[in-house]
Amino acid sequence: MNELAAAVFAAESAAHVVDVPRSRRFAEFRRTFDAEAYLRRLAANGLAWVPRGDRRYPPRLDAIHDPPLGLFVRSRQPLEPAPPAVVAIVGARACTPYGADVARTLARDLTRAGALVVSGLARGIDGAAHRGALEAGGTLAVLGCGIDRDYPRAHATLAAAISERGWIVSEYAPGVEPAPWRFPARNRIVAGLADAVVVVEARERSGALITADLALEEGREVLAVPGEVHSHLSRGAHNLLRAGATLVRGAEDVLEVLGVEPVAGPTRPALEGRLERVLAAVAVGACTAEEAASRAAVDIAAAGAALAELEVLGTVTQTEGIYREVMCSAALSGT
Amino acid sequence: MLARTVTHSLVGLDPRRVEVEAHLQRGSPAFAIVGLADRACQEAKERVRSGITSAELEFPVKRITVNLAPAGLRKEGSAFDLPIALAVLAASEQLPARALDGVAAFGELALDGRVRPVPGALVAAEGARRARVEKVVCAADSAPEVALAGVEPIPVRHLAEAVAYLRDGYEPPPVPAPAQTASTPDVPDLVDVRGQERGRRALEIAAAGGHNMLLAGPPGTGKTMLARRLPGILPPLDDEAALEVTRIHSVAGALRPGCGLIRVPPFRAPHHTASAAAVIGGGGRGLRPGEVTLAHRGVLYLDELPEFPRAVLEALRQPLEDGVVSIVRVEGRAIFPARFQLVATMNLCPCGGRGDAAAQCQCTPQRVEHYRERLSRALLDRFDLVLTVPRPRGAELAGPAGESSADVSARVAAARRRLAAAPPPLNDAAAGLLTHACERLPLSGRGRARVARVAAAIAALAGAEAIGSDHVAEALAYRAPREIAP
Repeated sequence: MNELAAAVFAAESAAHVVDVPRSRRFAEFRRTFDAEAYLRRLAANGLAWVPRGDRRYPPRLDAIHDPPLGLFVRSRQPLEPAPPAVVAIVGARACTPYGADVARTLARDLTRAGALVVSGLARGIDGAAHRGALEAGGTLAVLGCGIDRDYPRAHATLAAAISERGWIVSEYAPGVEPAPWRFPARNRIVAGLADAVVVVEARERSGALITADLALEEGREVLAVPGEVHSHLSRGAHNLLRAGATLVRGAEDVLEVLGVEPVAGPTRPALEGRLERVLAAVAVGACTAEEAASRAAVDIAAAGAALAELEVLGTVTQTEGIYREVMCSAALSGT
Repeated sequence: MLARTVTHSLVGLDPRRVEVEAHLQRGSPAFAIVGLADRACQEAKERVRSGITSAELEFPVKRITVNLAPAGLRKEGSAFDLPIALAVLAASEQLPARALDGVAAFGELALDGRVRPVPGALVAAEGARRARVEKVVCAADSAPEVALAGVEPIPVRHLAEAVAYLRDGYEPPPVPAPAQTASTPDVPDLVDVRGQERGRRALEIAAAGGHNMLLAGPPGTGKTMLARRLPGILPPLDDEAALEVTRIHSVAGALRPGCGLIRVPPFRAPHHTASAAAVIGGGGRGLRPGEVTLAHRGVLYLDELPEFPRAVLEALRQPLEDGVVSIVRVEGRAIFPARFQLVATMNLCPCGGRGDAAAQCQCTPQRVEHYRERLSRALLDRFDLVLTVPRPRGAELAGPAGESSADVSARVAAARRRLAAAPPPLNDAAAGLLTHACERLPLSGRGRARVARVAAAIAALAGAEAIGSDHVAEALAYRAPREIAP
């Protein structure tokens, strides 16, 4: 119960969790702290506490050099201590539509293959990864603030969906405000939980690269998804690739590193000829409706209709007027 | 001595009969105007005095009282100058007593006696017609408007001419009838738009179905260029609509002299710094029509939609819903027509760089979200067609010129006729696709209805008997994307 007291004291005194046990005021706090009552209050709010040493505490996280004293968990199900494979997907908050799309499909396909996708519930890549994972199962989000907070606010509904079908964890007790220095600390948990960290889009100096560094220090795999060479949002990931990170083209590349057998996704139903032609035009590379029309040699009305139908079928997505093919596991078969 | 002239003043868009009575008495010389006259109206005294003298007539050296009846109605503006002058002249027996029977008059006087046109001539003349007045003495520049109302104008350039007509039966030279030009040269043509096939197609559908349209995308992608070309492909206004639009523009003083009936649907583009009163109506003094009314039966174009104050955007919901705006001011209450087609543009982020790979947008996700939250869901729901216009590639801009507005306009007119005759029904395949789309895409019940409406316009353009699945599919492509309506 010492760990819980420390975590709660840190929340109430705004101290760093690591500094707490040496604090004199903590000794005083511990004498008056009623752990049983606190745990009951947590449970009443749908929260749980998993201290280090508990059998539900993730062994991978226990192995890092500064593991959290314990994890607060917000979920409908008990914390799964050791899923067969855990992949962290991290990247920029201000991502491009391409990055969001890759993160989403990657997370979906990894979850379908039985891996647990972990990320930080931030905007951009993190959110896209959680959403993609929820399409195929559960996911785990690590917060950099108190377990009762939905930060950012914009992801409140996403957080509710995750706690319904996956887990939200944090080392911070309810009431802790988000603060800039808590996010790198959060990243160590993201890296610590994972067997492999996939960086999707990152600037040269980025929180995602901190996560990748922490993962390397703990001997976890680091992988990166390439982007457009012109884009400053690709530089972080490209630097990792230059330094020897594994290049990711799809879920198979990640699963190969983890030694997990890929699961074939639902096969795409055969399309009508006109849809097939327009899809082939988009598969050449992300493009506007006009470009798709000229590549497929159809008029703009027919191209617009075909693109919308492909969107309904889920084989094409559109953001900001640019259409792109939804990444599909089948695209990698034969490599 | 007492004399009386009849004129018509405006309350909103409606004419009200006003009797101008002039009474001369013995006593120390004075000139008073009573009957809730505003400042411009009070100043008529000086213009009438100078005007009468300049016309080489005699301004009576008596105690003059002018009453504008009904006394409870507020009178504003300078249109009372001419009837006041005529009443004073009749009261002083410089005009025969019966000369003013069956004649209405309005117009502003210059100090040298010339008669100037006033706004709202068309409406005032319609008031005269309703009151069974056959002739209206007015400024020569107002004569074409008066003729449109179906009343005989007596076009006078000078007060002396008016007096000569009323006293001696002098016939002032007629004003040439305005040329009825079908197209005005200041509406730009679609032929100038290169590339942008998708934008052109959406514009054609919007014109055929009368849909509101939102164009999103980085600056410089031709959003404004497209929007400005919408009036050129809309069918010309029919007689009733043309009269209605001309009346509104007459009251607003926005009618160019000698242009006749407005046949081209109006295009109004208020800047985003415009106040709610300027956009909705009732701005300045009195019950003036706002931009939404000036855009009646035409296009209201709002560039940079999220930059408009929230109050303006929310106030647009009434006209978008009901096609009218009601305005209440001290001067009274008015209901103005405001059935316009709304075309708006927006960027994808505050800096405008989003959606343009070369611009390297630096906006944080929070700022982007905040920018998009300025548009309420209720307002976004009014746009049937939403289109993201990406930056065109160089090759497109170097491509051949597009179709001309005249060609597109012919197809639009045909589609409008088909829609008016019998709106096409959904066939089974189309209904199936629509239901499937509602399951797979974030599409609300209202969104479904919007897609069906747009699909009807597409089917009408294609000349199809029923709405097919390809029409529904194309309509789906113009639904609000996630990044605009999350």
